[in-house]
Amino acid sequence: MSSSRFVLFTLIAVVLVSLVVWLAPPAWGVAAVVICGLVFAWIGSRHGCTPSQADRGTEPPVPQLRENLRGLAEEQKKAALDNSAGCGDDLERVKTLLREAINKLVASFSDMNEHIQAQRNQALSIITGMAEDKGSGESGNFSEFVLETSRTMESFVESTLTTSKIAMSLVETMDGIDHEVNAIIGILGEIESIAKQTNLLALNAAIEAARAGEAGRGFAVVADEVRGLSQRTNLFSQQIRSHMDTVHGSVSNAHDNIYAVASMDMNFALESKHRVGRTMQRIADMNLAMAESARSIDGHANQVAEQVNKAVTALQFQDLASQLLDRARSRVEDGARVAREMADALGQAGDPAAGLDRAREILRTRSAEAARAQPSVAAQRLDSGDVELF
Amino acid sequence: MAKIVLTVDDSPSIRQMVAFTLKSAGYEVLEAVDGEDGLNKAKGKQASLVLTDQNMPRMDGLSLIKALRGLPQYRSVPILMLTTESSDAMKSAGKAAGATGWLVKPFDPQKLLEVVKKVIG
Repeated sequence: MSSSRFVLFTLIAVVLVSLVVWLAPPAWGVAAVVICGLVFAWIGSRHGCTPSQADRGTEPPVPQLRENLRGLAEEQKKAALDNSAGCGDDLERVKTLLREAINKLVASFSDMNEHIQAQRNQALSIITGMAEDKGSGESGNFSEFVLETSRTMESFVESTLTTSKIAMSLVETMDGIDHEVNAIIGILGEIESIAKQTNLLALNAAIEAARAGEAGRGFAVVADEVRGLSQRTNLFSQQIRSHMDTVHGSVSNAHDNIYAVASMDMNFALESKHRVGRTMQRIADMNLAMAESARSIDGHANQVAEQVNKAVTALQFQDLASQLLDRARSRVEDGARVAREMADALGQAGDPAAGLDRAREILRTRSAEAARAQPSVAAQRLDSGDVELF
Repeated sequence: MAKIVLTVDDSPSIRQMVAFTLKSAGYEVLEAVDGEDGLNKAKGKQASLVLTDQNMPRMDGLSLIKALRGLPQYRSVPILMLTTESSDAMKSAGKAAGATGWLVKPFDPQKLLEVVKKVIG
């Protein structure tokens, strides 16, 4: 072989490979390099210019080389198509996996959001009306309830103290009544003693009257009447004494009872008042703390909702990724198609030079077509996109 | 009664996210898987707003907008594009077809709600 022809073929091969690597999408590169290699080998062998063959001086017959080349081109075409199909299947599987996973994630997030909203509403209802009394139709907040209870307790203690004071004065009154009753009983003794003496005097008068005979008859009647009166006086006095004794017993009982009421420990009522006051204060504090917690829950729920929003924005990568996967798939398919078309062109052409020209033309046309295709996915990052109202 | 928003997108996750966002704000959401489905659903039930993707099988977003604008009941209904397309040429084509606005994916749920509220209240 002439060395100038070998250099020329090498040059063509290098230019072709560079052209392919520069023009074609990456998926086509490998196929195109293989094809160029084949073309180079074929032309070299046909013209008997492969250095090794030239050195060896044993050149295989041209038709056999052409047949080898066709066989190789066929094999390469088959490999490219198989790879493309496998690659396409894998991309489709990735797409499906992504879609299923993201659908589940979105469903979980939407569920999460619902729960968070429910939690927020609960927290808000705690803040706005903690002691809302639905049964009685009365509504009010918890601090009002505490105030009301405190007031009721105070008035209860006040009336207990007043009762105690009244009871004390009643005890004094009862003492007075008892004293008076005793005095009356003493006077009754006097009356009875007077009645007894009167009775005795009447008896003496009756004796003197009897001694006076007929002249004392009238006097004896008077003395008898006086005696009857003194006996009735004594009887009445005893009846009064019996009543007074009953009065004395009753007053004494009343005195004991009222004294028991009056001497009840007022410290208990006062202590109760303080205890209830302290409890109410604690409840009011707890109420405040609870409202504070509810506000904090509300704040956290807001933050979760915000994060869910961010997650929902980020999860849209699935849509972008699946468009990119579709594009990658069609590129792989394009690569395989170009490989097939180039292999067919090489295999079918009778003249190797024409086959090479045709293969080159196919590569250029397809590369130009690929370059014209506009990218449909604008987003390079997962920040939210622009909004424009016309 | 809740306003109806029709969301047209071939990606189930996008439809789901749009529905999730709008339902949480009290809108009723109808979903359609492509332009043709969207057109049928729009005819079946009057929507207050249509939110559509551009690149979809069978019928794309621009064709859907043109078809909807041809219907008397959709002449003045707001239609928003929600797409990955962001070229000025596409936006002008959308505007010419009768789109009310253009949102580039991915969308921020809060922003989407703001736009929807602005457009249909």
